[in-house]
Amino acid sequence: MMISGGRSPSSSSSIALTASGGGTSSWAPTTSVSASGKRIQIEMSELNVDPPPDCSAGPKGDNLYHWVATIIGPQGTPYEGGIYFLDITFPSDYPFKPPKVVFKTRIYHCNVDTAGNLIIDILNDSWSPALTITKVLLAIRSIFTNPNPSDKPLIPGIARLYLADREKHDELAAEWTRRFAK
Amino acid sequence: MDNPTFNEDDGGSDLDEISHSFICCVCRDLLYKPIVLSCGHISCFWCVHYSMSGLCESHCPTCRHPYIHFPTICQMLHFLLLKMYPVAYKRRENQILEEEMKRDTFSPQVNSQDTFSTMVFESNSSSDPLSTRKGEAYANTDVLMSNSQVQDDGTGTLVEISDGNSEVIRNIAVEEKYCKQVSVADVLCLECKQLLFRPVVLNCGHVYCESCVIIPAVEMLKCQVCQTSHPRGFPKVCLELDHFLEEQFPKEYMLRRYGSTGTAKQGGPAKQGEKLPHWSDPHSRVHTGCGCDSCGIYPIIGDRYRCKDCKEIIGFDLCGDCYNTQSKLPGRFNQQHTPEHKFELIENGRTMWWQPLHNPIVIASEDSENDEND
Repeated sequence: MMISGGRSPSSSSSIALTASGGGTSSWAPTTSVSASGKRIQIEMSELNVDPPPDCSAGPKGDNLYHWVATIIGPQGTPYEGGIYFLDITFPSDYPFKPPKVVFKTRIYHCNVDTAGNLIIDILNDSWSPALTITKVLLAIRSIFTNPNPSDKPLIPGIARLYLADREKHDELAAEWTRRFAK
Repeated sequence: MDNPTFNEDDGGSDLDEISHSFICCVCRDLLYKPIVLSCGHISCFWCVHYSMSGLCESHCPTCRHPYIHFPTICQMLHFLLLKMYPVAYKRRENQILEEEMKRDTFSPQVNSQDTFSTMVFESNSSSDPLSTRKGEAYANTDVLMSNSQVQDDGTGTLVEISDGNSEVIRNIAVEEKYCKQVSVADVLCLECKQLLFRPVVLNCGHVYCESCVIIPAVEMLKCQVCQTSHPRGFPKVCLELDHFLEEQFPKEYMLRRYGSTGTAKQGGPAKQGEKLPHWSDPHSRVHTGCGCDSCGIYPIIGDRYRCKDCKEIIGFDLCGDCYNTQSKLPGRFNQQHTPEHKFELIENGRTMWWQPLHNPIVIASEDSENDEND
């Protein structure tokens, strides 16, 4: 399991060490697991007190680092009424590295591929340790309302259809919602 | 499996009492050894350090403002928090100390006698980071509780527990009293010696009113207390601290607001040091993952001098500029560096154009591979 591994995700520091080439010393950090665990616990209680609209999230089993989340398709979109399940995996150097989020429910969306991987900037380059799961869920919810077809869509076909024939796109998306998300 | 799952955690319950201004945006707990970035946002020492990129420019977690210098702990805030939340701050100290011992790398000690003569505490908290001593308030309660369990299992417990409770209540009372004890003397500008008004924190961790920082005509901004230069332009006002001051000392703050006509600095913040020639020069050598223990630049660009005698894992390094000027002691991570130590010049940093290979996406994908393998 990833947690007992503890020190494993120090790939960034190992890069740093090899790249620095200057010998033993390095400022490159090795974060402790307990720090990430504390932060996740705090987020968990924050979610309980003030959950974001149409979203829920919590640990899957007794492992604090594997969560399952649900987002309800927002009203006025072809995803309306669908219940989408997501898997969230926290790296052990969370929050300094972003969590990994994967759709478990199939969805017709240009930013989500067939394996459920999704591309949003805050889960990649634009991640900041001040972001929380609440904010991630809200960002994911916003791509239901505003798909991003122009910036490297994962499924270019859907993106093209979205831009060319919005009605057809919405029809297909609604069909997928009925088939897979209800 | 030894993961720290749902154990009722050893603290955090006191978080409700802590002003929102003093919750770190990264660890979401009470700030511990706070650092104020040049954009005015506050985070803990370790939270800032971990948030920094060892490969290129770093960005503020809150506002993404770019910076490359790891600032020094803000002592004034450190002592203010210690005074306001003695119990919670102690809890944080123990918690961080435990993590530091695991990594065998320590955050710097903060000595109360440095600049703040008013900050004399009976709590010798900042003295020795190696002791694992618990916060005294907790220790008392613990002793009481454990005594009750050891000595008389059945009969006496009720009494003893109520004793324990009263102890807790007393501690809360003490905490409240301390909160009220925070006075203007704890939050003075180092220059005008009045209540801070629109405070700015320099890279060295010293706090001034925005209008009290003297902008030199030619050279870089310098701290008037420690003479360290402040890199990269004029720092922004620390708004969290400013709001706190306004709330805590409304009368004095109003006086400062009407008294200070000299807030006209806003128009022309110092621009010197804004541009770093190294960063635009593609031939600069970047010492990835290595920071300067004097000015805090991270990563070091150009010449890097490594101490050959420091035994700490983290090492002791200086950038070319700091090697050639007087350097501060000890290091950023409490290294026991002395002036007698010898340095060696490290030549083989990467040139800038290597960097795209190490951009965040690559790291992220490597991480995810790791995750899958684990």
